[in-house]
Amino acid sequence: MRYGMVIDLRKCVGCYGCQLSCKAEHGTPPGVLFARVQKQEMGTYPSVRLIFLPLLCFHCQEPPCVDVCPTGASHQREGGIVDIDADLCVGCRACMMACPYGARYYNDDHRGYFPGQGYTPYEALHYQKHTAGVVMKCNFCLHRIKEGLDPACVSNCPSRARTFGDLEDPESEVSRLIRERGGAPLHPELGTRPSVYYLPP
Amino acid sequence: MATNSYDQLLADLGATFRPQREWVEGRGLYLITGHFLSGIGAGAWFFSLLFHYRPGLLLAFLAAGLGGVAHLLFLGRPERFWRMLKIRRSWISRGFVGISLFLPFSFLYLLPLFIPGIPWSSEEALSRAFLLLSVLGMLIIFVYKGNVYAASRGIPFWNSPLLPVLYIVYALRGGVALILLSLPFTGNSLNSEGAAIIELWIAVSAAVMILFYLGVMANTNVAARRSVTDLARGRVSGSFYLGTVGIGLVVPILLGAIGYLSPLSQLILAAIGFFSLVGDFFAKYTIAKAGIYMPLLPVERG
Repeated sequence: MRYGMVIDLRKCVGCYGCQLSCKAEHGTPPGVLFARVQKQEMGTYPSVRLIFLPLLCFHCQEPPCVDVCPTGASHQREGGIVDIDADLCVGCRACMMACPYGARYYNDDHRGYFPGQGYTPYEALHYQKHTAGVVMKCNFCLHRIKEGLDPACVSNCPSRARTFGDLEDPESEVSRLIRERGGAPLHPELGTRPSVYYLPP
Repeated sequence: MATNSYDQLLADLGATFRPQREWVEGRGLYLITGHFLSGIGAGAWFFSLLFHYRPGLLLAFLAAGLGGVAHLLFLGRPERFWRMLKIRRSWISRGFVGISLFLPFSFLYLLPLFIPGIPWSSEEALSRAFLLLSVLGMLIIFVYKGNVYAASRGIPFWNSPLLPVLYIVYALRGGVALILLSLPFTGNSLNSEGAAIIELWIAVSAAVMILFYLGVMANTNVAARRSVTDLARGRVSGSFYLGTVGIGLVVPILLGAIGYLSPLSQLILAAIGFFSLVGDFFAKYTIAKAGIYMPLLPVERG
């Protein structure tokens, strides 16, 4: 079993639904974005186009973030999920420097979205789960996977651009899409062997 | 709503070239300071042993100790530092093992040198064992810092086997510089001319190394090239030219060159040491500051 995700760039409309649903699911503090969409204008007027790329942790099979972790807090779980044990992390942020995809975030404190006004009840509830002074990242919504659900960004994508499944099963939907549509990971030349694939637009 | 750092992060995430800030801004300055102090501590230990310069040994221990404290202050959860005390593939944990070897064993080696009545003398086998272990820690400190950066695959400008060599050169140079700086205060009969020649030689080597490093990195990939541009004529150029090149290389080399015309006074030697140390700090600061994450989307030319 190797969990993986396929993102169809033809279907993605850049709505930030993945980013917001992830925020809602995990209740992450400001400055922590397990899922995000990077947009960039290219070209010059009148030949301009907007390109966007949904990003998350790629749960690499050869994760550079795990190698540099001095405490073993960054580790690979069963199913190839790269996770962080918040109780082991010392907050050295070496993993943030090692990740070529910028998928890790440092939670320096629980400052909240409305400084000086305290937490909203929603924030107060969710911030209990997050340790301050450590690095955080996407874990493919492990708690949902254990319940047989897809990650929140997959379930809530309005254009059904995301598919989640087992990359080692040749009959799975993710394997079929990669095979038939020529799916490829981002920057394969880095040799990190990501578990997130993109289908060309 | 939100804060400056939050707005900054969002701006960074949207930028084509995202600068790393965690290891250089805010508490990141503790990390730069930690690398600086532990480097000159290891260098000063090495040269003080070479020159049989006792005050230098003490200064080396103090510098490395303060460097260790600075490292801890940088951590998000410093109370968990002991979790790093295990030999892993991580260069940070290797460095932590090095500092953990160096500090206690250099302290035990120093005790009989400065305090009479200690149960072991500096000539005994026990003291030699302490010295050996402190030297082992020193060697690890020499090599770990550059490798911590070089292992950062997200920052192409650092991800080079040349960087650890540059950091070793700077650590050696910082060690001599600390010794030179101490001369007017210790009144020691150290071969100061010899130390000045070594300092000059290492300063020239560091200048050559930096130029070589920038030249190589300018031809690797788009992110590393951008980092070199930032150093040469971008957001880091002020600190680079003033601190790393001007104060850190040109001034000490010019002052050192005077030594070939007339003998250098201890005050000038101390000035060479001081400027070299300032330059050493700026070298580490600017190299860290120039770090940029690899762009994820295609970069337009021009």
